[in-house]
Amino acid sequence: MKTLILILATFFIMNPLSSYGQNLMDGQQIAENTHAKNEGVSVKRNLIMELKDKRGKMRVRKTIALRKYFGKEKRLVIFYETPSSVKGTGFLTFDYPEASKDDDQWLYLPALRKTRRISAANRGDYFLGTDLTYEDIKLETKISKDDYNYKTLKIEKIDDNDCYLIQATPKNDAIAKELGYSKAHFWVDAKLWIMRKSESWDIAGNHLKTVKISDIKIVQEIWTYHRIDVINHKTKHETVFKFENIDYKTVLSDDYFTEEALVDGL
Amino acid sequence: MGYNMSNKTMKTVLNIIFLSIVITSYAQEKPKKTFKEKLDASLVLSYDMSYEFDSEKLQKTELILKPEFIYKFNRRSKLVFKSQIYSEFQDNLETGTPRETMVSNFSKRLFIDDKTSLELREFYFYTRFKNKLRVTIGKQQIVWGETDGLKLLDIVNPQNFRRFILEDFEDSRIPLWSVKTEFDINAIGVQLIWIPDNTYHITQDFDAPYFTKNLFKALPNGVAMEFRQVQRPERFFKDSDIGIKLTTFAKGWDLSLNYLYHYDDLPVFYNTLSQFNSVPTITISPKYERQHTLGGTFNKVIGSSTFRGELVYVFNQNFSSNNPNANSAVEKSNVYKSALGIDYIKGEYVFSAQLFNEWITEDIIPFNRDRFETNATFLASKEMLNDNLKAEILWVHSMNNKDGFITPSLNYWLNSNTQLILKSHLFYGKDQFLFGQFTNRNNVSFGFKWGI
Repeated sequence: MKTLILILATFFIMNPLSSYGQNLMDGQQIAENTHAKNEGVSVKRNLIMELKDKRGKMRVRKTIALRKYFGKEKRLVIFYETPSSVKGTGFLTFDYPEASKDDDQWLYLPALRKTRRISAANRGDYFLGTDLTYEDIKLETKISKDDYNYKTLKIEKIDDNDCYLIQATPKNDAIAKELGYSKAHFWVDAKLWIMRKSESWDIAGNHLKTVKISDIKIVQEIWTYHRIDVINHKTKHETVFKFENIDYKTVLSDDYFTEEALVDGL
Repeated sequence: MGYNMSNKTMKTVLNIIFLSIVITSYAQEKPKKTFKEKLDASLVLSYDMSYEFDSEKLQKTELILKPEFIYKFNRRSKLVFKSQIYSEFQDNLETGTPRETMVSNFSKRLFIDDKTSLELREFYFYTRFKNKLRVTIGKQQIVWGETDGLKLLDIVNPQNFRRFILEDFEDSRIPLWSVKTEFDINAIGVQLIWIPDNTYHITQDFDAPYFTKNLFKALPNGVAMEFRQVQRPERFFKDSDIGIKLTTFAKGWDLSLNYLYHYDDLPVFYNTLSQFNSVPTITISPKYERQHTLGGTFNKVIGSSTFRGELVYVFNQNFSSNNPNANSAVEKSNVYKSALGIDYIKGEYVFSAQLFNEWITEDIIPFNRDRFETNATFLASKEMLNDNLKAEILWVHSMNNKDGFITPSLNYWLNSNTQLILKSHLFYGKDQFLFGQFTNRNNVSFGFKWGI
């Protein structure tokens, strides 16, 4: 009997869901866990963005997105493939591990044949017509470690998966203004540490966005999401991000993550 | 004779280029994809109709087809082919079949008739070796500089001034047969360029709508003019342009240092006065002249703003002169040029301002311009409806001459592949100045771009 109690006690201590209602995992820890998840050193994937306005008019952007870690520094590059008139547009970001250091971002515009520096201070701006912000794109569904104070509310099921529901409040007004959110709720898978859903509210407190992350499956031994649906409740605009041909194994040359590569293309 | 030599040499060089393509592509990774998978084909069709207020006529009705093929041999090598079929149904901008005396034999357009031409826009082979050496051989555009609207360092490729500077540079820039080599030395990127293609700016005939008459002196009464054939460089190697660009990114600063040894893309108009059959006659002998251009660029993000700039020093530039003692009515001077710009982005709004200065360092008397000139540009744009609709206004203004132009535009994405464009060009200022001379060309245009 003692052994059984010991086993059950051990199970409850080890199981992150053991503290139902009482000692829910700290929200900051949950945010940290989303960053600790294995996502490979590099990844190459096709990213298809479907943009739908409130009247149902759809525009499709096909891109190739590459990401690679250089130590703790993350570099992400997105090359536009279609439509033809924006083909060759490229976006490059250097995401530095130091919170105090602003990221560096470049946008290559083929119509000008010039690379433009973009201020990373505008991280709450929407990314090239989609419903995700530059900050959202950079975080790749992870939850910021530095911008919010967290409160773990409860555990809820999303698509039959136990998720921590955490409430995030920007640490100060300046951050809230930068991000464009006054409050957010994140549902984080308690086993995979992948965000499955989020709701956010704008500075005025109005319901702004719903983000759903789905089609999560193992690719080359790494849990990987394949679809993000974003609804902007204010504009009624929607964006679907679809990820295809995900490849963690091909070694990506450092040369892809340079200003020169933005110009030369893939 | 010079052209025959150039033709032979050019053919030899082309053969070398194609041989290098074959060798390089076989020497690298084995192909894994099918021909269809390696070939990326696309097409852009654009139409633009422009109405001129002053003449109450169409200034142009333009249809452009741009087929593009990219064949990727492997991850490191590709062959790029971009061509253009251009039709201007009014035959107004470039009347008849232009002689293109300023264009080399290898870069001339093929005119099917007065209204339609075929042009090989770009045709190059790009390869990246394992030691990070990157080579681009063929007809291509090489773009330097940080400025928009007006050019300082973007001088590697010449420009077609068919519509003055109103066309997108992507379309007005003339690609050249050239070799571009890029490699890194520690944290410094090195770009070396060699341009044997002796093609220069395409300027317009005296009767063309966008003929820049302010660059030419009016003849005094009773004086005749003889216009001689332009003396253009013809030697393949000796008359090549060469350049180097060094780039680095350090502590948030993007920096470049540029040098180009080149021919000025506009000829110098040497004038001599003589008596011909007792009639005073001015003989104009245009000739392209060499010059050295040294420059640098920078950009840096500070807060929500991006600061950028260019500094340029041109050695021995030739100017048409008002000095009666000037030899052949031409004087030389070094020229210092600078551009400082700031871009501010907030949400869907972009504001961009640039200040351009030019200072002729020698005490000369240039024709129809000041020794110190300042131009400014201001651009404001707003993306709306998730980038479906873009409203933009560009203002270019000469501080010295109080002339300039304003270009408001609306750009709407009808669907994934189709953009509608409404635009107007409104010039103002006195007739004798660069921008003011085109006040009678003010227009509104409507067009679309469709691509697959």
